[in-house]
Amino acid sequence: MFLKGLSAILTVLAGIGVALVLYWILNKVAELLPGKWEDRIKPYAYIAPAFLAITVYLIYPALRTFVLSFMNADSTKFVGTKNYTDLLSSSDFQQTLFNTLLWIAIVPAATIVLGLAVGILADHLRPGAEKLSKTIIFLPMAISAVGAATVWRFIYAYNPPGQPQVGLLNSIWTSLGGQPVPWLAQETLHFNSILLMVMMLWMQIGFSMVLLSAAIKGVPTESLEAARIDGANERQIFGRVIIPQIKGTIVTVFVTVTIGVMKIFDIVYVMTNGNFNTNVVGVDFFNQLFTNLNNGAAASIVAMLTVAVIPIMIYQVRNFRAEEAAR
Amino acid sequence: MRGPTRMKVAAAAGSVALLLAACSSSSSGGTGSTSVAGQTVNIWSSMDQPIIDGLSAKLDPAAKALGITVKWTKVDNINQIIATKVQANAAPDIAMVPQPGVIQQLKAHVTPLDDVVDVAALKQSYIPGVLDTATFDGKLYGLLVSANIKGLIFYPKKVWEAKGYTAPTTIDELNALTDKIKADGITPWCAGIESGSGTGWPATDWLENLVLRYGGIGTYNDWISHKVKFDSPVVTQAGEEMAKLLFTAGNVPGGQAAIASTSFQTAGTPMFTQPKPGCFLYSQGSFITAFFPKDIQADLPANVGVFGMPPVKAGGDNPVEGGGDTAAIFKDSPAARAVMKLLAATDLGATAATNGSSFLSPHKDFPITGYKSTLTQEYAKVAYAATGFGFDASDAMPGTVGAGSFWKQMTAWVSGSTDLSSALKAIDGSWPAG
Repeated sequence: MFLKGLSAILTVLAGIGVALVLYWILNKVAELLPGKWEDRIKPYAYIAPAFLAITVYLIYPALRTFVLSFMNADSTKFVGTKNYTDLLSSSDFQQTLFNTLLWIAIVPAATIVLGLAVGILADHLRPGAEKLSKTIIFLPMAISAVGAATVWRFIYAYNPPGQPQVGLLNSIWTSLGGQPVPWLAQETLHFNSILLMVMMLWMQIGFSMVLLSAAIKGVPTESLEAARIDGANERQIFGRVIIPQIKGTIVTVFVTVTIGVMKIFDIVYVMTNGNFNTNVVGVDFFNQLFTNLNNGAAASIVAMLTVAVIPIMIYQVRNFRAEEAAR
Repeated sequence: MRGPTRMKVAAAAGSVALLLAACSSSSSGGTGSTSVAGQTVNIWSSMDQPIIDGLSAKLDPAAKALGITVKWTKVDNINQIIATKVQANAAPDIAMVPQPGVIQQLKAHVTPLDDVVDVAALKQSYIPGVLDTATFDGKLYGLLVSANIKGLIFYPKKVWEAKGYTAPTTIDELNALTDKIKADGITPWCAGIESGSGTGWPATDWLENLVLRYGGIGTYNDWISHKVKFDSPVVTQAGEEMAKLLFTAGNVPGGQAAIASTSFQTAGTPMFTQPKPGCFLYSQGSFITAFFPKDIQADLPANVGVFGMPPVKAGGDNPVEGGGDTAAIFKDSPAARAVMKLLAATDLGATAATNGSSFLSPHKDFPITGYKSTLTQEYAKVAYAATGFGFDASDAMPGTVGAGSFWKQMTAWVSGSTDLSSALKAIDGSWPAG
């Protein structure tokens, strides 16, 4: 135990030391150059190690994944676009895509609306009550998704009729006179997927609330007072004064949650593993790679996901730049 | 075997394949020493500590007599560890793995036992078919040391005796018993296949046990290697019988729709509700008693009865599905071979059978009265009367099927979102090429 701790400390110190020495050497090398060149080269000397690390650990694997997506299951032979056509023509994968789209359509919007609602309502509370209610709503953010799934499994738990219902939802439902329902197996209208989304919302609203509430508090009181003097009612103030001023934050939260939802894995994996037609792209990727050992299919799913995320990221970057420029 | 373990097993089998594909190191050679005295033999296994303690109690003195010291270590997930250790040239002398497929994939590094043990005598001693599970290309690579069996049907003993039911000897009698229990006003079957991200595996065990009975051990093994398709008459027949027993209205609590959402861990609990059982028969592996309610577990032999899933014809072919820990030599030496001989002895399990562990000997000449628990005696009766030993099919199939499409399609079929024929065809379609 002591030795392990010691070796961990030594590793950290050695890592920092080597990095310092590296930058010192690069700096010295740059200083050897004639004056004008020194200024030109120096920034690159400082950015190069970080750039190299990103290339090795991010860009190379990404390109490699892209190449693998055109190869067979054990990456020994090129198969052209077969992985893509196989996936896109399978009805299972089409359902998986549809479920993922459903998540994208519902969760980010609901996160914004609910986060905004909580932020606005909490703003009207006394300071103590506001802190307490925000803390409670933020709390699920601190729980890991797998831990949250354990909680929610108890909420959705099902026992056949005639047995005590340990599940919260079923015990309420049966006490109102209903028959116990296996909630997570309710495929009609993707009701079970929506139940899983509720869980995601429960975890994400705290994040949305904190950012939006801070943005609302950042709206200058002068602009609100000016609107009131001009005779605007509360609804008009909210729609025409507050919303335009926090639009940047709304977009940021929306984009972050959207990307998170596109990659959604843990909740679905732990709750249903994609059974009962709740499969999503993230879970399918995992199963292709670790259950089916099909590198090709797994890589092509990731490649498609990456391509789908890029436009959203470009939008986010542009939006960010526009905000900066306006400031 | 429980769900999570089975997934790890499947993942392990896969990672073994990857590792071997990635690199191939030379196998460790023998020690060259002829005398075994003074040698130490390391054994690694993942079985429960009480079983290890029980087996060690018999093994250690026998090895001491030869001058060998045995160091038996319990490790987690031997299925995964052994492949890494073989690659690193740091394998133990002997390892016991739950997954014969792992031994098969590592067989270049494993010592064949044909010259080490008396195969002909072992054939007589073991449950028929046990040696076949570790025989690859005509050579024996491993010995089953500790066994477990599946396809056991549990029932609440007190009610059973009060009603005067008798254990069925054929599948037809099992159907008749189901109807009789139902006529007595009791829901005949308990069923649950929910197991978190492993949902579906208990349904594969159901189907496997019926395929084993309808097809016999030969067809069963051909099914594992996909020479017999899922979409074939024998598998379809097994599926239809399963549907008849479980999906018929009123046969399980909550009906067919409830099965896929009921946890396999608690599905058997209603057997013990008072005054009337909520369900009556529960088919599972021998480990399931650990999930029964605490007060039932306090006196299992008085509360729980068990019979094996019956054969198609009484007195005919009667195979059993099971698993266990298979010992193989990963570092050859005269001492390791000497210990392997000791592990093959029938009376090795004499202490483990009485020390409260869940040990079941794979030797059919092990005295049934040698087990302290009368419930284990019942398991032994089922196991030792078997005419064949089929290894868990979904564990032996490629992971794509065995831990993937087989689970998923069975879940979809059981929950009613697809029919049997489509489910079986979809599993065939997912079988990896080559």
